Amino acid sequence: MRIPRLLGVAAALSALVVGLMGFIGLGATDNVAVINGYPVITADPATASDWYDTETMYNLYSPLVYPAPEGGVRAHLATSWEPVGGDFTHWRFVLRQGVKFHSGNEMTAEDVAFSMARFIAMGRGNSGPLGKVNAVAVDRYTVDFVLDKPSAIFPEVLVLFFPVEKAVVLANKKAGNYGEFGDYGEDWLTTHDAGTGPYQMTSHIPGQRLDAVRFAGYFEGWSNEGWGPDEVPIEKLVFIMETDYTTLMTLLKSGGLDLEINGGWTLPQLQEIQKDLTLAFSSVWAQNVTVWMNSKVAPTDDEHFRKAILYAFDYESIVGPWMAFGNGETGILLPNMPGYVPIDPQPRKQNLERARQELALSKYAKDLKNVKVAFHFCGGLGFEEEVGLQLQADMAQLGVTVEVTGPPWPQYSAECSSPETTPNMTIFLFGPQSAPTHDYYTYAMFAPKGLGWIFEAHWFFDDPEIIRILDATRAEPDAAKRLALYEQVQPLIAAHALAFYPYQKPTLFARQAYIVGPQETIVFIGPSENMHMWRINLKAKEAMGR
Amino acid sequence: MAKYIGLRLLQSVFVLFGLSLLIFFIARVVPGDPARQALGLLATQEQVERVREQMHLNDPFPVQYYYWLRSLLHGDLGVSSYTRRPVTTDLAQYLPATLELILFATLISFIFGQVTGVLAGYFRNSWFDGASRLVSYLGIATPAFVIAILLLFVFSQVLKLAPGIGRIPIMMQAPPARTGFMIIDGLLAGRPDVTLTALKHLLLPAFSLSVIHIAQEGRITRTSIVETMQKDYITLHRVHGINTRRILFKYLLRPSIIPTVTVMGLDFAFLMSNAFLVETVYMWPGFSRYAMTAMLNKDLNAIVAVVLVIGVTFALVNLLVDVIIMFLDPTVRLRQGGA
Repeated sequence: MRIPRLLGVAAALSALVVGLMGFIGLGATDNVAVINGYPVITADPATASDWYDTETMYNLYSPLVYPAPEGGVRAHLATSWEPVGGDFTHWRFVLRQGVKFHSGNEMTAEDVAFSMARFIAMGRGNSGPLGKVNAVAVDRYTVDFVLDKPSAIFPEVLVLFFPVEKAVVLANKKAGNYGEFGDYGEDWLTTHDAGTGPYQMTSHIPGQRLDAVRFAGYFEGWSNEGWGPDEVPIEKLVFIMETDYTTLMTLLKSGGLDLEINGGWTLPQLQEIQKDLTLAFSSVWAQNVTVWMNSKVAPTDDEHFRKAILYAFDYESIVGPWMAFGNGETGILLPNMPGYVPIDPQPRKQNLERARQELALSKYAKDLKNVKVAFHFCGGLGFEEEVGLQLQADMAQLGVTVEVTGPPWPQYSAECSSPETTPNMTIFLFGPQSAPTHDYYTYAMFAPKGLGWIFEAHWFFDDPEIIRILDATRAEPDAAKRLALYEQVQPLIAAHALAFYPYQKPTLFARQAYIVGPQETIVFIGPSENMHMWRINLKAKEAMGR
Repeated sequence: MAKYIGLRLLQSVFVLFGLSLLIFFIARVVPGDPARQALGLLATQEQVERVREQMHLNDPFPVQYYYWLRSLLHGDLGVSSYTRRPVTTDLAQYLPATLELILFATLISFIFGQVTGVLAGYFRNSWFDGASRLVSYLGIATPAFVIAILLLFVFSQVLKLAPGIGRIPIMMQAPPARTGFMIIDGLLAGRPDVTLTALKHLLLPAFSLSVIHIAQEGRITRTSIVETMQKDYITLHRVHGINTRRILFKYLLRPSIIPTVTVMGLDFAFLMSNAFLVETVYMWPGFSRYAMTAMLNKDLNAIVAVVLVIGVTFALVNLLVDVIIMFLDPTVRLRQGGA
């Protein structure tokens, strides 16, 4: 037996393998958009909680009120609302008539009241900020909400409340923990929808893929006003859930992905996309890169020490290469939010002299050699680590040691459950995912009754004036007066140097050039990812051979 | 034989019980609050506490284990705090995808490993032996995910000879999941196009996974062939003029294959838990990726279930390997009391 004969066997096997491959093509130009979102687990509005869940909600369901581009909220499923009485514990909403669920049935106050009762009873998802709410259908198109505590901002919180169709949910309930309501249809709603949104779910494999088709009966209609002649509504959406951006880049370049809505690209990937004329970016909202400084553990318990960190950090170095993509200055609020007040340091440059002065005033001034600052980032996130390493280099110039560590997310987030276990410094990205957005970046992060945990890892609630103003924001029904309060509170918070804000990181939606949108810029996670605000140019798609 | 298999199965039950106990406690002492992970960012502390109660997380460990074991005996592995579905539903969805992938990878590694090993051993110190040694070292030294990315780039991106990601194209309608194996489900649904497409989609990820095993199994087979060729009975057959093909396939290959089969059993279980990088590169909706997600989200029920499934697979595959070796090697058969 000779080698060539046995090699022949291997060659034949190889030929079989290559033969199986064949040429792969995706077929003719279809009116379909393949969109990548992070793994959507639940399609149930009562349990949806993360931002990618919210993106899905805005496609399958409709909120009672809609975030407005200029801030605040505007009519949507509800056409008007007003407080009943003067203490903001009782709100009346008038519903739009003729809104159709995907089943074809009309939405009524009974559905809205049921949905709120379900939302509160299940007590998960985004229901936390609502507190206890009792909902009553007054007539076919009027619903009353009675709250357990006064809230002047209640209508704005409802941008994350998505009514479901009562009859459909009850028809599909299983045995469960909610008495006569069984499981409140939770199991069924994981893989089906009962909404009024612009798209209707056709299938859902949690964490893997969600398919939806355009709902022709969507109450806002599908007018092409404001769009180009060849830009038409997208008929079918395929949400895929991939977190590996190398794979996503491959897909995007090969035409297998039309739109990516989570923006986790690295700098080289962004530069590569920018060079490709068949691809483009859309950017609507940004994430506030926030580094909390724990005010309850040494050495960051000293206000002067915290201020030294603020001035020692080299903002320009860290932002430099990202500037081409819009990353820039930020503060307690995002700069594109009305009422944004720039905070120290101004200008945003490293000021080592000022840092030394602050250090000299701190109680640790005489023992800097023995001072160690623990900086924790979420393991695996390179851009967070970069901030830590930059700070490490900057503080070394002042003789202070910064230890940079990246534990995995479960450990990292668990550390922030109490002041004692929270490291000196922790870095997080906060996108506008809870409403009102101003409240999210202020009350939720600086009031003792805020969101706690990673949202308040500074653990500073010692300034009664800050707390008084923050409480006043929730009691103020007038939007303009409330905005004035937000402007007033930002410098007060900043004066304690509880965090430093290296930059704001825009979320860049990479897309094929033939996908256009969003039509409106709404600084909130979800509304801009509502594909009703996007169109597809099929002629351009065909011309690109996709 | 039946007694031997029964005894091995009984031993496996005890091993799996110990494994479940160990992983149950390890999963709970790893830092992180599963209730918080399950509820998402905006949950209030009150909501977190309520879910902790529902998940029995405030109970002592033995009580938690009791609840879990009681459910397990009723075929209930609990609900995943991440996917919010029964873990059994998740396993039914993800496990077949990975089994299909690694069965295919094992087949590829067996065929190519044997061919190269036999050739290299039979023609030892030839140019082929040298070349296969070099390629083997490269294969062993290169991580599977690097190979995965390279293959994806070359065959899918540049040459456009193979599909890039997933089990079938995004736009292709999947057949009803009867077995979870796309190749079989395509045939059962009368959709040979799905079967053929699924086979195409299997090639690159399966080959990526199999490269290291082709290299390992090739080297082991080569060594085994070389050793066997030096046995007296092979020399005797040569002297008696028995033709080369008969010597190779009847007297040389059979004893030489035994170490490879043993290694293949270990490789199979290894792939179950280590395929996640390749599954990630190819967007393969598999068990290994699910396992990694469970770990990162401190999904307690899923973690324990994943470890148990790997444990069961390991036990069953090793049992199967032992049985195969009993057939291949009469001396083992005789030692176990069966002739």
